[in-house]
Amino acid sequence: MKKHIYKFLFLLAITGTFFSCNVEEFSDLNNPEVDAFSESLTRGDLQDLVSGVLYSSRVGLGTYFDDCGVIGREYWRFSSSDPRFTSDLLGGSNAVLDNNTFYLTIPWAARYRTVKNANLILGFLDSQDLSGQFTTQEINATRGFLKTFIAHELLLNLNLTDENGIRIDVSDANNLGAFVSKSEALSAIRTMLTDAASDLNNGGGSFPFSLTSGFGAFNTPSSFAQVSHALAARVAAYQGDASAVLSHLGSSFFNLDGSDLSTGLYYNFSTDQTGLLNPMFFPVEATTAGARIMHPSFLADAEEGDSRLSKVAQRSEALTLDNLTGDYSVFLYSSNSDAIPMIRNEELILLYAEANITVNPGEAVNALNVIRASAGLDPYTGATDTESLIEEMLTQRRYSLYAEGHRWIDVRRYNRLDTLPIDRVDSEGNPDDVWSSFPIPLTENQ
Amino acid sequence: MKQNDFKFRILLFLLISPFLMVAQVSLSGKVNSDKGDTVPFVNVIEKGTSNGTTTDMDGNYRIEVSSLPATLVFSSLGYETFEQSVSAAGVVNVTIKESAESLEEVVITGLATSVKRSNSANAVASLSAEDITGITPPPTLDGALYGKFPGAIVSANSGAPGGGLSVKLRGATSLQGNIQPLYIIDGVYVDNSSFAAGLNAVSAAAAGGSASNQDNPTNRIADINPDDIANIEILKGASAAAIYGSRAAAGVVIITTKRGKSGETKFRFSQSVGWTEAINLLGVRDYTYDRVLDTFGESAANDFQAAQNSNSLVDYEKEIFGNSGLLLSTNFNMSGGNEKSKFYAGVSHNNDKGIVKNSGYEKISFRLNLDHKATDWLKFGLSSNYIYSSSNRGFFNNDNSGTTIGIALTATRPWDKLFPNEDGVFPDHPNNSSNPLQTIERVTNNEKVNRIIMGGSMNMDIYKAESSNLELILRGGLDFYGQQSRAIFPKDLQFMKPSNGGLNGVSVQGDTQNKNYNLSAFLVHNFFTNNDINFRTQAGITNEFFDTNTQLITASGLVASETNVDQAANTGVVQTRLQQEDSGFFVQEEINFQDMFIVTAGLRGDKSSNNGDANKLYYYPKGSLAINLNEFGFWSESSKWNQFKLRAAYGEAGNFPPFGALFTSYTSFTTEGLLGISLRGVRGDAAINPERQKELEFGTDLGFFNGRLSLSGTYYIKTIDDLILNSSLPPSSGFTTEFVNAGELQNKGIELGLNATPFESDNFSWDIGVNWFKNKSEITRLDVEPFNVGAFGATLGTYRIEEGFSATQIVGIGPNPGPNGFQVWGDSEPDFQMGVNNSLRYKNVDLSFLFQWKKGGDNINLSALLTDLNGTSHDYDTIDLDPNGELGNGPYRVSQLGSSAGVFVEDASYLRLRELGIYYTVPGKMLANVLNGSIDSVKFGFSGTNIINIFDYNSYDPEVSNFGGGTIFTGVEVTPFPSSKRFLFHIAVNF
Repeated sequence: MKKHIYKFLFLLAITGTFFSCNVEEFSDLNNPEVDAFSESLTRGDLQDLVSGVLYSSRVGLGTYFDDCGVIGREYWRFSSSDPRFTSDLLGGSNAVLDNNTFYLTIPWAARYRTVKNANLILGFLDSQDLSGQFTTQEINATRGFLKTFIAHELLLNLNLTDENGIRIDVSDANNLGAFVSKSEALSAIRTMLTDAASDLNNGGGSFPFSLTSGFGAFNTPSSFAQVSHALAARVAAYQGDASAVLSHLGSSFFNLDGSDLSTGLYYNFSTDQTGLLNPMFFPVEATTAGARIMHPSFLADAEEGDSRLSKVAQRSEALTLDNLTGDYSVFLYSSNSDAIPMIRNEELILLYAEANITVNPGEAVNALNVIRASAGLDPYTGATDTESLIEEMLTQRRYSLYAEGHRWIDVRRYNRLDTLPIDRVDSEGNPDDVWSSFPIPLTENQ
Repeated sequence: MKQNDFKFRILLFLLISPFLMVAQVSLSGKVNSDKGDTVPFVNVIEKGTSNGTTTDMDGNYRIEVSSLPATLVFSSLGYETFEQSVSAAGVVNVTIKESAESLEEVVITGLATSVKRSNSANAVASLSAEDITGITPPPTLDGALYGKFPGAIVSANSGAPGGGLSVKLRGATSLQGNIQPLYIIDGVYVDNSSFAAGLNAVSAAAAGGSASNQDNPTNRIADINPDDIANIEILKGASAAAIYGSRAAAGVVIITTKRGKSGETKFRFSQSVGWTEAINLLGVRDYTYDRVLDTFGESAANDFQAAQNSNSLVDYEKEIFGNSGLLLSTNFNMSGGNEKSKFYAGVSHNNDKGIVKNSGYEKISFRLNLDHKATDWLKFGLSSNYIYSSSNRGFFNNDNSGTTIGIALTATRPWDKLFPNEDGVFPDHPNNSSNPLQTIERVTNNEKVNRIIMGGSMNMDIYKAESSNLELILRGGLDFYGQQSRAIFPKDLQFMKPSNGGLNGVSVQGDTQNKNYNLSAFLVHNFFTNNDINFRTQAGITNEFFDTNTQLITASGLVASETNVDQAANTGVVQTRLQQEDSGFFVQEEINFQDMFIVTAGLRGDKSSNNGDANKLYYYPKGSLAINLNEFGFWSESSKWNQFKLRAAYGEAGNFPPFGALFTSYTSFTTEGLLGISLRGVRGDAAINPERQKELEFGTDLGFFNGRLSLSGTYYIKTIDDLILNSSLPPSSGFTTEFVNAGELQNKGIELGLNATPFESDNFSWDIGVNWFKNKSEITRLDVEPFNVGAFGATLGTYRIEEGFSATQIVGIGPNPGPNGFQVWGDSEPDFQMGVNNSLRYKNVDLSFLFQWKKGGDNINLSALLTDLNGTSHDYDTIDLDPNGELGNGPYRVSQLGSSAGVFVEDASYLRLRELGIYYTVPGKMLANVLNGSIDSVKFGFSGTNIINIFDYNSYDPEVSNFGGGTIFTGVEVTPFPSSKRFLFHIAVNF
C-alpha cells in the first residue's frame, strides 16, 4: 500500500510541474485577420481594404467573359488542358452545364467574395465610432463607392444564373438571405445603385483612399456617382424600363459623341507578381494550350468595312480543337497589362438607342448612326419599325461590345437564343446546345 | 562400430567419473556464427542455474559446471538462442545462427520502454535492416515499406527521382488533416514536409480552381539513408500509438539506426551500380494519311506523308522517356568500441539519374552514433546525421498553360519538328505552346537540402535493488534543415518569349528553414514479486517545438541570361511561417502476470498551440490485454504449439487542426501598385478541436513447430471523431469553405500475416512470408451538407464526402445519377492488398523476391483524355471502350466528356514483382589468405525494383498522384513523370 502512495505522490508531482508549463498561443503568422479591423479601423486600413475590393473584383473575370463569349457564340475558348470550354459551354454531344465546375464556381465565388470584402468594410464603418478618423462625407463616399461595387458584382452573377436568380442579402454569412427571382434581383440592384449615387453625392470632394488609373476622371465621389447611374441604366435596360434608362443616362457620363466611346470605368491589370494579368489577352498565334478563336459568324455576318473587325486578327495557320477550326484569334487587347472596361460610353450610347426605339425611334436611329459612323459604316438605311431597330441595335451591340460579355445576355433578353449558330453535330446526331442560363452552384445547397 | 561406440562410452565414463566427484567440470570452446565469424560476448549459461559467462573477443569461453550432463544455453542479441547438452567435459564448439526474428523480440509499448513481442497486445510491425535493404536498396526510405507488412498503403506520387511517396496506415485517417505517420528517428521527431517549388507561376495548374499544390515536390523523409537503419517499428493506429498523443492518429514509424557493438572494429563497404528505365511506355497512335487528314487537316496530313516518306517520323515519347538513367550508390561504415564506449559511423553517396534527361537525385549522408557508459548506472547516447541532397525533378504534372513536359507531349505528333538546329536553337512547337525537348534541356527544377538531425539521450539508474529499480531517461532531439528550391525558366523557352505571350524568363527561388526540437523526461519504475508478477510504472513529460519559415521569390522578365531574382522586371515574394508548440505528459502501468496475462493502462495529456484553446489539455487513454494461453501449461514443452496469444487493445490519439484553421484572414494583392487585402475564402473556427481517433483492435498470434510456422490475425475498428472538415460554404457568403468539427469516419479492417520456413537444412532453406489486408472506410456521421472534394470536378470525376458512403468514393456526372445528382463510379480504396516475400538460400547463394498485389481501387485518369483532345492517344483508333463498338477509344472518351465521368475512372489494380535480389556470399575460408585473412566476407549480387508490373490501366503506372501525398484524395493522374524500374549490381565487403 505504501508503495502505491509513493507512486501517487510522484505522479502528482510530475503533473504539477507540467501544468505550470504553458504553451504559447500564436496568431495567424502569415496574414492579417478579419478581427483585427473590427476593433479599430484606420485610414491606412481602409485603403488596404478598398484596394482589396479592386483586386477581388478582377478575379475570375476572364472565366466570366469566356462563359458569356462562348455561349453567346462570339468566340471559342480553346484549352488543351481543360476540355470543358468546348464541351460543356457549347453543349457538345450530351454535355450539359455542371453546377460545380470552374466555369461557374470561379466567377460566382469571386463576385460574392468582393461583395463580402465590401460588406465587411461597411460593417466596420457601421460598428465603430470613426469620427476621429474620417469625416461624415468621407464615410458617405466610401459607402456609395462600395455599394456600387456590390451592385455590379451581383449583376454579373445574375447574368450567369438569369431566371434561376441570386442571393441579394449576403451580409451575414451565417444567415444568408434567400435566392430571389431575376426581376426582384434586378430591382434590388438598381435600388442599391441609386442609393449609392445619393451617398456619393453627399460624399464631399474626395474619397478617403486612392484609386487606380482605370477610374480616370471618376475618382471623386460626385464623378463616380455618374458610374453608378451608368450601371443603373444598364440594369434598367435589362428590366425593359426605357424611361428609367434614359433618366439614369442623364445622370451618368453618357455622351452622344462617336469620338468618345472609350470613356468609362476600367479594370487595371499588370505584370506585378501580386497583381493580375489581363485574362483576356492571348497572342494572335496562341496554340490550343490557351486561345480564343473568333466564331466564324462574326466575320461572315459583318458589314464590309466595319473597322470593329480589328478586334480579331488573322492567324498564320488555322487552329483546331475538339472539331472546331478557326483562322482568327480574338485580339481585343494587345498585351497582358491592358485595361478591361467595366462600363464605357459606347455601351451608354447603345443603351440610349435601345431605350429610344420605343420612346423616340428617330433618336434611336440617330444614336445608332453615331456608332455606325465611328465604325466607318454608312448611316442606317433599314426600316425603322421596332423589330428592325431592335435587330440593328443588337447587331451594333454585337460588334461594338464584342467579347466584353454582352452578346449572350442581349440575345437572351430579346429571346433570340435560337438564332445563335450551331457548330457541331456529333456522330449520334446530337447537335451542340445553346444554354440560356447557368444552374445555381451546387454548394449554394438550393 | 557399435561395439566401439559402447567401449568408447565406458571409457568416457571412467574418465569423467573422477571429475564428478569434485563437482566442478570445466567446459570450453569457441562460438561461431553460421556465416563463419567468431561471435564475441555471447552469454553462456548453464541451464537452470545462474551460473554463466560470456565469450571473449575471439568467441572463446570457459565455464565451470557443477555436474554432467549439463545443458549450456548460448544467447546473444541478433542470434537465435541455442541449447547444447553436454555429457562430457572438454571442448564444446557451437555454431549459432544469425536471426532476423530475434530483432523482433521486443516491441515498443511505452515512450521509454518496450516489451517482448510475445507479450505485446498490439499488431506492431517490425522491419529489420535485412527487410529494409536486404533484397534491394530502396531509392528512398519510405520505398522500403512496400508490401512488407499488412496495413500500410505506400504509394508513389510520380516516377520522378528523389521520392515523393505517401504512406497511409490502416485506411483513411483524416479527410483534411494530416494523414502521414509521425516519423521518429532515435527519439527525434523528424519532419516529413513537402514544400512547393512555385512552379505554379508558370504552369498555372491551380488556375482551374484546384487550389492544391500540384508541383510534386519531394517529401523530406527521403533524406534518411536506408542503410543506416537497424530497425523500423510501425505503430499503425491509436491503440498502439496513444502514448504519442496528439500527433499519433496517422500512426507512428519509429526508426532506430545502427549502433556500435563492442569488440573488433568492423568495416563494411558496399558499392552498387545499375540503371533505371521506364516500366511502361504507351506508344504512338497508329497514324495513317486518312486519320491525320481527319484529325489535323490537310496541311498536317501532307507533313505526315512527307515525314513518312523520308522516314523521319519521331517517337517523341521514346525520345523523352525512353532513356535509361545511371544509378550509383556507395556506402561505407565502421563500428566498434569497448565495454564503455561504442560507435557507429557511416557515409553514403547516392547518385540516381532519371529516365528523363537532366533529371536526377543525389544524396550524401554522414552518420555518427555514439554510446557511452559512464558508470554502471549512467549511460549516454548520441545520434547525429548530416544530409545533403539535390534533386532535379523536371517539369511535370497538370498545367493550364501547355508548358509541362507531359502536357506538351500530349500535343506532339511524330511529324512535328522539335529537334534543335546545329546552333542548338530549338524551333517553336507548331502545335503547342512549349517544345518539350527544349523544356527538358533548358528548364531547371532543383531542390537542395542541407539537414542535420541530432538526438541525445541519458539513462540513469536512480535506484536498483533485487526486486525493484527506478530509471530516469532524458531525451532531446533536433531536426534542422534548409531547403532551397530553384525553378529557372530561361527567356529563350518557347513559352517565355514575349511574342508568344510569355513572361520573358522566370526564376522562382524558395528558401525554407525548418527547425523542430523535442525534449522529454521519463521515469520508469520496475517492481518484481517473488511469484513472477512484474509491475512497471512509467511517467513522463514531453515538449515539442516546430518552426518553419518559407520564402518563395518569383521573378519574371529576366535580364539577359541572369537568374538572380533581382535581375528581373517583376519580383514577388511570398513568406509562409509556421510555428507550433506542443506539451504533454503521460503515465502508464504495465502488469505482467507470469507471462500469462499482460495488462497495460496508460493516459496521455496534450496541449498545443495548434488547438483552438492552446492551453486546454486533451486526454488520450489506452488500455490493452494480452493472454498467452501457451504459458498456462496446457501444452507440453514438446508440443507443436509454441504460441497461442489472444490480445485486445484500445487507444485514442489526436490529429491537429491544419495550421490556419483557427483564423479568418485576408491575403494581400496589388492593383496597379495599390496594396489591397482580400478574404482568403476560408472561414476559420477559433474554437476548433483536434480530431480524435479511437481504435479498438483484437487479434491472435499463433506459433507452431518451434516457430517455423506463425500466423497472426488482427481485426480493428478505427473511428475518427470530431472530423475536421474544410467543408463547403455557400459561396455567396463570401467564403467557399470553412473549417469545422463535423463528422465521424470509421475504418474497419483485417490484417493477416503468415510466416513459414517450409524447408530448412544446412544447404538449403526456404522462408516465406505472406501478408494480406483490407480496409473499409465509411463516413458514419456528417453534420454538414455532403460535398465534393479533390480532383477536377464532377465532369471528370471527383471525390465526395457523404454520410453512409466510403470516404474515398469517386463520383461524377453520368447517365444514371443517384438522388444527389451524381453517379458513383468507383472508390480509390483497394479491395485488398497482399505481399508475398520469399527468400531461398542454397549454400552461399541467396535469392529473395517480393511480390505485391493491390486488388481494386480506382484512379481518375485524365492523361488519356488530354491526348484524345489532341488526337494523339496511343489507343485513339482502337475500338474497345464504346459499347456500340463504333467509336475509337479517343473519340469515345471525348464523346463522354460532359455527359459521363465513367470513362475517366479506371481500375488501378496491380501486381508487381516489387523487389528481387540474388546474392552470392564468398565463404570466409576462401578469403583466409587474402589480405592476411582480414576480410570477413564478400558478397556479390544483382537486384531490381519493379521488375514485373502487371496492370490493366491506360497509362504509365496506376500508382500516381497529381496532388501529392498529403491527402487521401490521391490517384488523380494528369501526365505524370512515368515511373521506372531499377536494376543494380552490388558488391559488399566486410572487414
